[in-house]
Amino acid sequence: MSILTKPTDSGLVEPLPVGTPQKSTWQRYRWILWVVVLGAALAFPYVVDRPRFWIPNIGIKSLWLGTIAMSLVFLNRYVGLLSLAQMTLAGIAAYGVGYMVVTLDQSVFLAVPVGILVGTVAGFLVALIAARTKAIYFLMITLAIGQVVYSFASQSIEVTNARRGLAPIPRPDLGVVDFAQLHIFYYGALAAAVLCYLLCRYVAATSFGLALQGIRDSPERMSALGYNVNRYRIAAMTFTAFIASIGGVIMVFDRAQVDPDVVSLSSTLDILVVAVIGGVGSLGGVFVGGIVLTLLDNFAQNVTERYMTLTGLVFIVVLLFAPTGLAGVGKQVVRALSTRRRAPQAPTAPDVPTPPGITDPSNERKQQ
Amino acid sequence: MTDVALRVADVSKHFGGLKAMRNVDLEIADGERISVIGTNGAGKSTLFNLIAGVFPVTSGRIELFGHDVTGLSTAKRAKRGLARTFQTSRLFEQLTAAENVFVALGGSEFRGASLRVAWPSSKHVNTVNRWSRVERLLDRVGLGDKGSAIVADLSHGEQRQLELAMALALQPKLLMLDEPAAGFSPAERIHLVRLLRELPEEITLLLIEHDMDIALAVANRVVVMHDGEKILEGSPADIRASERVREIYLGGSLDDVA
Ligand SMILES: Nc1ncnc2c1ncn2[C@@H]1O[C@H](COP(=O)(O)OP(=O)(O)O)[C@@H](O)[C@H]1O
Ligand SMILES: [Mg+2]
Repeated sequence: MSILTKPTDSGLVEPLPVGTPQKSTWQRYRWILWVVVLGAALAFPYVVDRPRFWIPNIGIKSLWLGTIAMSLVFLNRYVGLLSLAQMTLAGIAAYGVGYMVVTLDQSVFLAVPVGILVGTVAGFLVALIAARTKAIYFLMITLAIGQVVYSFASQSIEVTNARRGLAPIPRPDLGVVDFAQLHIFYYGALAAAVLCYLLCRYVAATSFGLALQGIRDSPERMSALGYNVNRYRIAAMTFTAFIASIGGVIMVFDRAQVDPDVVSLSSTLDILVVAVIGGVGSLGGVFVGGIVLTLLDNFAQNVTERYMTLTGLVFIVVLLFAPTGLAGVGKQVVRALSTRRRAPQAPTAPDVPTPPGITDPSNERKQQ
Repeated sequence: MTDVALRVADVSKHFGGLKAMRNVDLEIADGERISVIGTNGAGKSTLFNLIAGVFPVTSGRIELFGHDVTGLSTAKRAKRGLARTFQTSRLFEQLTAAENVFVALGGSEFRGASLRVAWPSSKHVNTVNRWSRVERLLDRVGLGDKGSAIVADLSHGEQRQLELAMALALQPKLLMLDEPAAGFSPAERIHLVRLLRELPEEITLLLIEHDMDIALAVANRVVVMHDGEKILEGSPADIRASERVREIYLGGSLDDVA
């Protein structure tokens, strides 16, 4: 394959100049937000007053909640599917790690890849069952599969050790990096979450990702164009199972054990809440959702006995007043501030035909 | 060549108790230009959907380029060289016009699954070629300056033009257009007729069109449908002269047809 061949003739396909009018102000300055957020995330273990509380309960937990919710958001945003199986798949990956470490006494070097593989393959199997169905049926099938896994996990003695689960699953000391140290593990989780985010953005920007968005908008059209819609849906679900599995691996080391709780309905709903608070459709917003949920989880009890009620209220308020989630609110503010800056089309040299100005496919779209 | 591009043999379609299509026979040779006319509800779009495989026939048989495709999926028929547009636009609403065509090209190139970044700034030769084809197709249908517009922001007429560009992107052997001029301005109609007349000779065209001027100007043969049946077939001149067609349209002028 001749990679990176430069087009030679006619200048027909001149790349878009940087900062083309297609880029909104929001997109142009998004990197500043990124620097701030990443800086805050990096400084976090050193600026909090009680690291042993904050790092695991807020930091690490937000990261794996966010990563798993991101797999849900990817499916929703780019393929138009709402899957309630993502937490289940993460849980299956966690069980995979647990079984390798606890039952088979294997090293984490083997346990982690096996866990991710098991979760991904499980996602592929779920996809085979669910990919043909749509909308509410898809939601119900993925929910039902989760319930089947939950009842298996809480009953099987040999595989999952029933209600007691598999423990201990200690954070490993890998020599070079010692994940047994809390802040090191936090940075590992942060790196994994950021890589998952970048991978999702990358996949969305490929020809494959564009085809997925085509399926989201019109599956009939995609079939008429010769695409095997089903196969694309299965591929997308398998990919998001991979992302969810990585979240599941972070989770299992964070909890140091795995039990049926992780595949329960309430864990599944947690992921949905995180996705909605972060803004279904916003890949990065899920981490905001994760932080909000963990903060509520830890501090709401101090304010009120009715913790669940408060979470429910936040959920409803977000749905009512910020259908694009909390991250969406920030985005809207930046957009509102920048509308007057929408410049006219940049003039182009008359003899060079402009390429069809295609916006970067990963750019923010209108929310439906 | 006089090879048969499409053969519809004794095809019927029932929707529950509704007989939307009754024992229709149709044979189209390679390179022919056929217009299908008929009142609303005559079964024209149903005929397209059966040929494209959107739903199965109740009875009968459909052959594309000499192969029985009656049991094949829509996607497999598309890969045999069939492209169609929809009466109501089915576009990728949240993508730009150019991205719509880019995705359409993926269907014919079998490269849709590529994990290469699809940005126009990509330097990879395949991506570069694909974007330049996108540009040519948009120019061809008169959307040259609309590439970067999100589909939802395009006018109705522009969306119809984009439908056409996406069908052409497949480089089809058989092109089926379902009322492509609906909502077009007079200028866009003229552009469409020119475009259809300039289609490469080997492309077989099956056209459903409201506008009789377009239907008769483009076709070398016209098929009249009524109430789920094919009632007449002939040259544009025959159809203009036909008493039967006049009767069906209640003695109105031919401009009321379809
Ligand atoms: N998917 C469907 N389900 C049920 N009835 C349908 C369907 N598609 C078309 N019909 C019916 O079949 C008849 C023919 O419709 P159609 O082929 O769309 O007509 P035309 O395109 O000639 O206006 C109409 O009575 C229509 O209501
Ligand atoms: Mg119709």
